[in-house]
Amino acid sequence: MPVSKEYIVKRLILLVLVVFGVLIITFVITRIIPAHPELLWAGSHPTKEQLEKARKQLRLDEPIYVQLYYYLVDFVKGNWGVSWRTKHPVLEDITTALPATLELVVVAFIIAIIMGIPLGALAALKRETWIDHIVRVVSVLGASVPVFWLALILQLVLSNWLGILPGAKRVDEYVVIETGFKPITGFILFDSLVQGNFAVFTNALKHIILPAFVLSMYPFGLSARMTRAVMSEVLNEQYTRSALAWGLPRRIVIYKYALKNALAPVIASLGLSFGYTIIGAFMVELVFVWPGLGLYAAMALLSYDYPAVIGCVIVVALIYSVINMVVDIIHSIIDPRVKL
Amino acid sequence: MIALEDLKTTFRLIRRNPVSLTGLVIVLAFFAVGVTAPYILPYPEDAWGEVYHLEKRFLPPSLEHPFGTDEMGRDVFSRVLLGARFSLIIAVGVVGLALLIGIPVGLIAGYLGGRIGTALMRVTDMFLAFPPLLLAIALAATLGRGLTNTIIALAISWWPWYARLVYVQVNSIKSLPYVDAAKIVGLSPLAIMFKHVLPNALTPVTVQAALDMGSAILEAAGLSFLGVGVKPPTPEWGLLVTEGWTSINVAWWISLFPGLAILVTVLGFNLLADALREASDPRLRRILLVSGRV
Repeated sequence: MPVSKEYIVKRLILLVLVVFGVLIITFVITRIIPAHPELLWAGSHPTKEQLEKARKQLRLDEPIYVQLYYYLVDFVKGNWGVSWRTKHPVLEDITTALPATLELVVVAFIIAIIMGIPLGALAALKRETWIDHIVRVVSVLGASVPVFWLALILQLVLSNWLGILPGAKRVDEYVVIETGFKPITGFILFDSLVQGNFAVFTNALKHIILPAFVLSMYPFGLSARMTRAVMSEVLNEQYTRSALAWGLPRRIVIYKYALKNALAPVIASLGLSFGYTIIGAFMVELVFVWPGLGLYAAMALLSYDYPAVIGCVIVVALIYSVINMVVDIIHSIIDPRVKL
Repeated sequence: MIALEDLKTTFRLIRRNPVSLTGLVIVLAFFAVGVTAPYILPYPEDAWGEVYHLEKRFLPPSLEHPFGTDEMGRDVFSRVLLGARFSLIIAVGVVGLALLIGIPVGLIAGYLGGRIGTALMRVTDMFLAFPPLLLAIALAATLGRGLTNTIIALAISWWPWYARLVYVQVNSIKSLPYVDAAKIVGLSPLAIMFKHVLPNALTPVTVQAALDMGSAILEAAGLSFLGVGVKPPTPEWGLLVTEGWTSINVAWWISLFPGLAILVTVLGFNLLADALREASDPRLRRILLVSGRV
């Protein structure tokens, strides 16, 4: 195993620093940039008392470094404020909403990989032909389409007009009630499969297809382009040429040797696209009324629910940093050439 | 560093590939429409959003109104055309402001190095810890809606990329002999940095910045959709899509066409970026040049 303990420790320390950085920047954005931070935290039409209470809570009458100290302490303690819209503690809202988003993002990535890697490999094999051109345009389209617009149009056509797929929510209420389904982890697909509740499973699967497909566009485009680039490089390497010269069947050389070596950078690029995808989820969930973190964040933005907005920003930045770290470590495991 | 000779080869590479050429044409067309939009509007008042035509609400696309009319009876085509102007302002504003912050930071960090350099790059890294658009969302939520605030929010989440790029360039340039010569002659560090190092580090970052304009348009549209972008009645494309959302079941054209405008424009920028990336791949260049295909 090429990954050393020191490397992982180093990455963990780096992660702590990154989290600290994220908190500093959000502190500056929420407390220093606005002239009257209490206005943002006191809800949309605050009374004098509410404003006064917000000032106290934020310790705005104390020096900046005291404010920062309590900001960090509150963060660690989980006191992230109360959402003005739901009246719940922000952290509680976020943990309830998170599984729905993670499920959606995971399915989106599965779709992206299933479509992106074979198409990218195909384009590399047929370089500079019309197949290559089409794959190139389609994959660039994935990175160019406004996700919220695609979500609206596909929902309109496939759900509202043709009625092929459901266009809102994670699962139909009546199926849940009829079968007496009780979610445990919050991942409906997983829970229903484990409990052998296929009625709920198929229903939830139908619901997830549209939003996940829309969300998969960006990682799909990226993985297809990356696969194409790396595959065309690998196919030109000495070892693939020698393998072909040895008389190994082309199919084996491509799928067993070339593709395998092309995978590491593709996985790395998918990891990088995670950040963009989860922001895409803000918009896609809003369109498909998907009760996840994205919908929560989008609703918070639209209703000026500032504590909830900042809570979501911090959580997403944290998830992003952790994913980046994990991807780096995985990358180094599958590609021994990456020196740590 | 891209020399003139390289640019010529690059252009030839783009021209012989139909897909890359499409990208170039789209980008040029976008600039043309963006600049001339206010003068070529079929219904100028509709575009600026100052009117209300009760009798013309929700008209489907026709010869008179190629993209139909919206819930206030305004011509969607005019609004989309003028939207190009606002998208251009946003794109140039975001990229320009980001360069204005990113270039000095990268230059100073790269040239001076040492503690100042490390500190500057650590701050840059802190910004890069946010996924794209997230920081802009937080900033826009704090600053409030509006064209200027949208540009500021996006630029502040954007400059670290350019700082990084310039930093790397400057780092490799500063050890070149000509810089040493300038030092020996006794030029001040500032003069060397801005007059002699910066010009040579500029090409890659400006090319990158020009191509990033597509992403700026896309992200500004996203901010509008989330309610923290430009204010109505500004005909920004993302806002136009959002405004059509409530009536999408009766009038799909209100949302469809502005979204298509975003898609096509961003596609153009990305295809061009893709073409330049391919063209700057030295191995590919050599193969194509040797085989006489360029």
